[in-house]
Order: sequence, then C-alpha cells, then structure tokens
Amino acid sequence: MMDRIYYYFIRIVAVVLAIFFLIPVVWMLALSFTPEGENVFGNGFHLSFANYEKVLSQAPIFGWMGNSLMVSVITTALVLILSSMAAYAFSRITFPGSKFMFLLFLSGLMIPAEATLIPLYLFMRDLGLLGTRTSLILPAVAGPMGIFILKQFFDGLPKDLEEAARIDGAGFFKVWYSIFLPLSRPALAALGIFSFIGAWNDYVWPLISISDKAYMTITLGLPMFQSSYVQQYALPMTANALAAIPVLIVFLIFQKQIIKGIAFTGGKEL
Amino acid sequence: MGTKSLAHQGWITGILMILPYTIFFALFSLFPILYGLRISFYDWSLLGDKVFVGFQNYTNLIADEEFRSNLMHTVIFTIISVPLVSGIGLLLAILVHGIRRGQSFFRISVFMPYVLSVSVISSIWVIFLQPYTGLFNQILRALGLIHEEIFWLSQPTLAWAAIIMSTIWWTVGFVFILFLAGLQDIPASFYEAGQIEGANRWQTFWYITLPSLSRITILVIVLQTIASFKIFGQSKLITGGGPAGATKTVVFSIYENGFQTFQMGYASAIAFVLMIVILVISLVQTFILRRLES
Repeated sequence: MMDRIYYYFIRIVAVVLAIFFLIPVVWMLALSFTPEGENVFGNGFHLSFANYEKVLSQAPIFGWMGNSLMVSVITTALVLILSSMAAYAFSRITFPGSKFMFLLFLSGLMIPAEATLIPLYLFMRDLGLLGTRTSLILPAVAGPMGIFILKQFFDGLPKDLEEAARIDGAGFFKVWYSIFLPLSRPALAALGIFSFIGAWNDYVWPLISISDKAYMTITLGLPMFQSSYVQQYALPMTANALAAIPVLIVFLIFQKQIIKGIAFTGGKEL
Repeated sequence: MGTKSLAHQGWITGILMILPYTIFFALFSLFPILYGLRISFYDWSLLGDKVFVGFQNYTNLIADEEFRSNLMHTVIFTIISVPLVSGIGLLLAILVHGIRRGQSFFRISVFMPYVLSVSVISSIWVIFLQPYTGLFNQILRALGLIHEEIFWLSQPTLAWAAIIMSTIWWTVGFVFILFLAGLQDIPASFYEAGQIEGANRWQTFWYITLPSLSRITILVIVLQTIASFKIFGQSKLITGGGPAGATKTVVFSIYENGFQTFQMGYASAIAFVLMIVILVISLVQTFILRRLES
C-alpha cells in the first residue's frame, strides 16, 4: 500500500517537473505560430504561418542554416574518417611511437577551445582562411574525443574477426575499411551525432572568426537578427523555432542512441 | 615475404593511418597552444609592433580590477551552479529511475534542451523572462509567488539568477543522463542484500545507492566545474555582460581584450591562466578516479 502511494507520488512529481522542462520549448513554438501582439491562448489553436513568412523574407535564415549544415556535415564526415582510421591503428597495429602519440592526443582532451581562440584567429588570418566556412571546420576536426571512443570500441572487437582476412592477404587498410567500419556502426553513429550537434551549436569560435553575414552559421546569425527586435517577441521566437526544429527532429529520431552515447562516453570511457 | 618485412609493412601502415589526423591535431590544436604561449609574453596588438615584455601581461592581470571582478563572477557562478546542476540532475535521475512505465517520456523532456544551441536557449529565456509580457512572471503570479513585476535582467543578483536558471534548464539533462546510467548499472544483488539486512528506503539510498554512484558523482562535478569556468555564451547573449559588467566572465575578458581592444598578448595571458586552471581540475579528476578504481 505504502509502496503504491509512493510510486504514484513520484510519478506525479515527475510529470510536473517534465512539464516545467517542456514549457519554454512549447512556449517558443506557440509564440512562433501566433501573430505579433496577439495572445497565444486567445488564438484558439489556429496555426498562423505569417511569422515564418516574415522571418524568412527578412533574414537569410535558410542561408545560415545551409552554412551550418555544410560545416556540420563536413566536420562530422572528417571526424568519422580520420578518427576511425587513427583509432584502428592504435588498437590493432604496433608501430614505434604509437603509445606516445596516443598519450599526446589524450592530453589534447584537456585543452579548452576557449584557450586557443587568439592564436587560432591569428593563424587563420595568416592562412587567409579567416571568415570562411573552412575556418569553422578545421579546428573542430582536430578534437581527439572520437579517437578515444572508437579505440575503446575497437579494442572490444574479437581478434579472430580480422585474422581470417589478414591470412587471405588483406592489408590493414582493407581490414579497417571492410571489417571494422561496418561492425562499429553504433559507435560511429553516436560519435557522428555528437560531432554534428557540437558543430551545429558552436558559438564562440564562429563569433570571432566570421564577420560576413553570408558566411554566418545559424547559431551566430540568430542573435544578430534578433538584436533589432527589442520589444517584439513573435519574430525572434519564430527564428528560434526555425533554428531549433531541425535539431529537435534529429534528437527525437535518434534520442535512444544520443542518450546511450552520453551514458557510454561520459560515464564510462573518460 | 619474411615476418620481418611484414612487421615493417605494419608500422608504415600504422603511421600512415594516424598521419591525416595528426596533421589536423598538430596544426589546429598543438601549434595554437604553443603560439598562444608565445603571444602571451608580448605586447601584441593586431596591427602595431610586437614587443617582448616577459611576464608583464601576467603580472598586469593581478592588478587589473576588471579581470579580477570577471574572475570573481566566474568563480561564484561555478560555486553556485555546479552543486545545483549536479544535485538537481541526481534528484531527477532518482525520480525517473523509480518510474517503470513511460520512462522515455521523462528522459526526453529533461534532456531535450541540451541539444539546443546557446543562441536559441538564450533568446528563449530573454523573452521568457520579460517583465510584463514574459511567461515566467505570469506563472509566478498565477502561483501567488510574486505580486509585483520582477525585472530579471536589470539587477546583478537577478541577472545572475536568470543566467543560472537558464543554464540549469539547458544543461541538467546531461548530468541527469549520466546519473541515470549509473543507477541502472547498480547490480540488483546490492539491493537484495540490503533487503535481507532489513534496510529501509533511506538507508538503502544512503548506504547502497550513493556509494555506488561515487565515481559518476566525481566525474559530473569535475565536468561541470570545467564547463562553468568556460561560461560565456549565456552572459553575452542573455545579459550582454550587464548590468554594468556584473555578469561578465573570464572568457568575456578574453573576448573583449582580444577582439574588441585587440590586446592579443594580454588576452592570451588570460587564456593561459584559464587553461592552467582547467588542466589542474582535469588532473585532480584523473587522480581521484584512479584512486577510486584501485
């Protein structure tokens, strides 16, 4: 009896808390479908797309999203290819200096991006890349997180998997490509999703690197667009919704992998 | 082919396979660190001369009141937000762990804000906290908690409260997931043993659940401390550092000195101090976790 009451009690508390967590996002969506100056609740759940039309005509939101998409996709692809290649070498091949290199990369995990903003800025300027989409991709690929996640995963794969292929004359490169990559789809998916969301949401480096409106990512363009609306909320909220909806959809589709991935990488492998 | 040449072929392939990543790491991670260290010993403006000044940027930091107060803000933010985010994350995890049916709804609701960018969450909260039109004050009024409008962003303490609330909302899902995974990993046999001993719910929590989570708790506290030291986006976008600079942080100092007044050397010195603080926290974490493991 007590157990039942306790169970219903925590259920109710959890529902209330979940609602509190959802309110800001629901409020954002509700405001984006309500014409400026009208009451959200007085709207009678009639969806108005007027705000969306206005925002899209006033700011290059789709252009910014295109930049974000391009930067995030290329970053993710490069991270997956380069990290899995290096992780495979660290996991399966003995070569001189491999321990040292692995430790060197490991120490890279402790370097906060905020500490290298100035040298990166000057370096990119010297390379003539400052303000380009390339300048947003390169530093993100240099992050070593992927190597650790994937090396852990590769270490757990049984050795006899590749031995048959090696006896048949397949080189390490072929084994990586045709055996390890297909087998590690779950780990690659988790790493891919994190790289994508991380690149999509990055704020401080784009803020410093990009000044041309045409090359801005959505995270950077959004505040620029909104600073001109001091006392209006419908249009800024609509812009937020436009920026958030793709990520929210990706999240809802992959939420199981994302949540498992966090538990896996954050909880056990660090 | 003899075994020797096979092994030799192995190490060439090994080196070739780490080479592409190594180039990225060397150019965009390792080199910037060394370059930044060098810049921090110069009076280095964007266009003018670069004059070697030794440790002067570092000694200037100690006397710089603006930097000192920004550092203070960051430390206070860390001291307040780390226990809050960790504690609330743990409470939510325990709550949701106890729910058998429909658990994924709660996981999704709590975790969802974490995937949004700082620009989106900041803008939502700015509008959410508006004195007359914002939903937040309306909720508080409906609950009978306030009778007058609260101007969240015009007073230092309230502005920090706003930043902390939005940060908790945004990031607590991450901590929550870590604790939830930890709770699910505690073997059922631990609880059965507790039941045989006749432990009540509170004793079970205190003597079985909490000790089993110690490793994750340390990890969470350290990761949150590092993240709090790097706070910038919320303060830039929610309060603009105001009112009167009251919500500026260490990374704000790097941003202003480096990219608004273009004192690259001085800003690099700040960045180095920040990096050393984060390095020390990371090393302490590694040390404690190693000890816990053995």
